[in-house]
Amino acid sequence: MKLEDFIKIPKVLGAGLVSEDGFIIEGRATYEYDTERLGAIAARVVHRIKNSFGMEGASAVIYTKENVLFLKEVEQGIVFVICQKDANVGLVKIRLNKIA
Amino acid sequence: MGDELRVDSGALIFATLADVYISSGMIDEAISILQDGLARNPNYHLAKVMLGRAYCLKGEFDKAVATLEAIYDDIKEDESANLYLGHSYLKLGDNEKAVRFYEAALKIHAENTEALQALEKLVPGFAAKPDVESAKPSEEKPEIAEPTEAIHEVVLPDEAEAPTREVVLPAEPSGAIREVVLPSEPEVEVSGSSVQEEATAESFIQEIPEKPIETGTVPLKSLDKPVGRLLSLESVKSVFIATKDGLLIKNYGKGENDVEAICASVAGICLDVDEAFRLLKRGGLTRCIIEKPDETICVMVVGDSLLTVITKVETKPGLVFVYARKIIEEIEEILG
Repeated sequence: MKLEDFIKIPKVLGAGLVSEDGFIIEGRATYEYDTERLGAIAARVVHRIKNSFGMEGASAVIYTKENVLFLKEVEQGIVFVICQKDANVGLVKIRLNKIA
Repeated sequence: MGDELRVDSGALIFATLADVYISSGMIDEAISILQDGLARNPNYHLAKVMLGRAYCLKGEFDKAVATLEAIYDDIKEDESANLYLGHSYLKLGDNEKAVRFYEAALKIHAENTEALQALEKLVPGFAAKPDVESAKPSEEKPEIAEPTEAIHEVVLPDEAEAPTREVVLPAEPSGAIREVVLPSEPEVEVSGSSVQEEATAESFIQEIPEKPIETGTVPLKSLDKPVGRLLSLESVKSVFIATKDGLLIKNYGKGENDVEAICASVAGICLDVDEAFRLLKRGGLTRCIIEKPDETICVMVVGDSLLTVITKVETKPGLVFVYARKIIEEIEEILG
């Protein structure tokens, strides 16, 4: 997986891969965003979804007042991408779905 | 009480929901949610008043009295508490206390029609006075009719039916209930009375005021139409509304999901996300899409509630959000 694929998309603020317990494996973000914190949030939410619905390969899109956060559980860990609210959310989702 | 609401916004949520349940006639649900909420907020007196009211409406008058009397010193200025204490004591046969609480309700709101109607039936010669300053609970004891004979049942709000034709004849010393035909009827039938008695009785007949029948729609009913539009989408499997703490408000499901379990799970996830993003100072959650292998769950935050739409995997989430926008506005208006 190439994180650059996401970072190049306009208004994408950061992307990364974290382990299931929230440790960052790889990550890039603009100066305002801390990939370690985002990774920890991603791991916590995915863990919660997995526990609640008892499923593997959890995937979620979370909208907040300022941002949109994409989460997807893959073989290597959990991928997350954060972008501005007005980014091309559909494009990010397509790229994320291509990750095996 | 205002401070309690500010301290615990959850209190407001369960009380609001309980009020909606009571308005919808779902008394058991209201009692359940009030008991749960009070377990977390035992000093929330507004909820206790609502619980007392719910018990009274359910016919559990002992519990209603116990609930309201326990905090009476703190709620004695509450019109509803006094009214439902009056109703409960009346049903329990303690007319003296019933009168005192009805009078207390009138002291707070002199035009409380339920209290006025009840007192008209309980106290011979009672007439609504503009100044009810003298009516204080546990002080004056007005003359009260005999409990078993001179009084007939007060119609509680949920029992409102067609106006009764029973009337009270205050001048009679005993057995004061007589069945008479209302003035519009051609004849008056009074068994065992002389013509003279009939004339005297007629002059004292007090027709019980007709209770207006509430014709307003139940609040949540008004959501049926907009939610129906969403449900009409072939790919939408289920729609439901829950509180942010995971309690189901209404289920419009056409699937066979365990809705209550999904409510709890979705609420837990949303709470986690919300907290995490607030720590980042990036604002709270507004909506969320959770993709499962067999279905997609779209969740939208609507005030203090969560609107959840479960769709088939192939559904476009954007389409769901477009249709949901109108519903969100209406839910916000109804539930806040």
